[in-house]
Amino acid sequence: MYKIISDDKDKGGMRMITLDKTDLIEAMTDFKNKGYYLTCLNGVDMKDHLDVIYFIHNFDTNDYISVKVSTNDEHMPSLTKLFRVADWDEREQYDLMGIVFDGHDDLRRLFLPDEWVGHPLRKDYDLKKVQYVNMDSEGNEHVSFDEKEGS
Amino acid sequence: MMKTGEVGIKTTTLEKALEWGRSNSLWPLTMGLACCAIEMMAMQASDVDISRFGSEIFRNSPRQSDLMIVAGTTNKRMAPRIKRIYEEMPYPKYVIAMGVCVIQGGPYVDGYSVVMGVDKVIPVDVYVPGCPPTPQALTYGIITLQKKIRNETDR
Ligand code: SF4
Repeated sequence: MYKIISDDKDKGGMRMITLDKTDLIEAMTDFKNKGYYLTCLNGVDMKDHLDVIYFIHNFDTNDYISVKVSTNDEHMPSLTKLFRVADWDEREQYDLMGIVFDGHDDLRRLFLPDEWVGHPLRKDYDLKKVQYVNMDSEGNEHVSFDEKEGS
Repeated sequence: MMKTGEVGIKTTTLEKALEWGRSNSLWPLTMGLACCAIEMMAMQASDVDISRFGSEIFRNSPRQSDLMIVAGTTNKRMAPRIKRIYEEMPYPKYVIAMGVCVIQGGPYVDGYSVVMGVDKVIPVDVYVPGCPPTPQALTYGIITLQKKIRNETDR
């Protein structure tokens, strides 16, 4: 049985629970059996660790829950086996925050070109090192730190 | 031709006639990339209606248009594609940079994903500043471009 670390309500009355990373799959399976679906997931950079916040919604009771899970090593279990909708959401978090979802079978970048260095929404991303993108006639994109090599 | 039957003659040079024709049948390409595109659409709707100034209808194909209105944030993945679409347009071709994003980055000036000005990629004829520029401002930009084509601009 999974353990809910904290359980309270936010200002708008939405239930917020905190879970341990190891309990995530078990808890989400339980919520899915109760009729909840994943609507969205966010990543937050807290500097010393990363948070992933899952929003789940029950269409029958119109009940929203936000589930917060922390990770210290940039790894999270993937929810794609439970909810197919998590596929692109997890790819987005991998692209912009660098959170690696173990068990996701197609973890590529979603928005940025594959050659991009770093994850731009992280607090330690250096905006001074500008990267430039160019495209050859076949449509393959290349990334470089040299201004002459792209725009 | 007068109604009296006399024939009125106007002399001009071939260049002038070509410039006149080009400036009064600018067919813009839809290049709406972000929020500015809404104002670009408003410009061709009945309220402001650029057809009154001879700028006709929007085309969806670069091969049928001679004016590219870059309306919206130019991000780094889009920039090579804008360049390619620009190269597919037939000569003579003109570019209007609409909005501060397209001119120099605008609100995203420190962003990781935005090109600091579309003029780094393609040559721009007229800049229309604003966030977003009103449809009237863009209409003024088109009139300025028409004057530029006819070599009438006072700069
Ligand atoms: S200039 Fe302003 S309105 Fe236009 S695309 Fe940029 S942010 Fe949007």
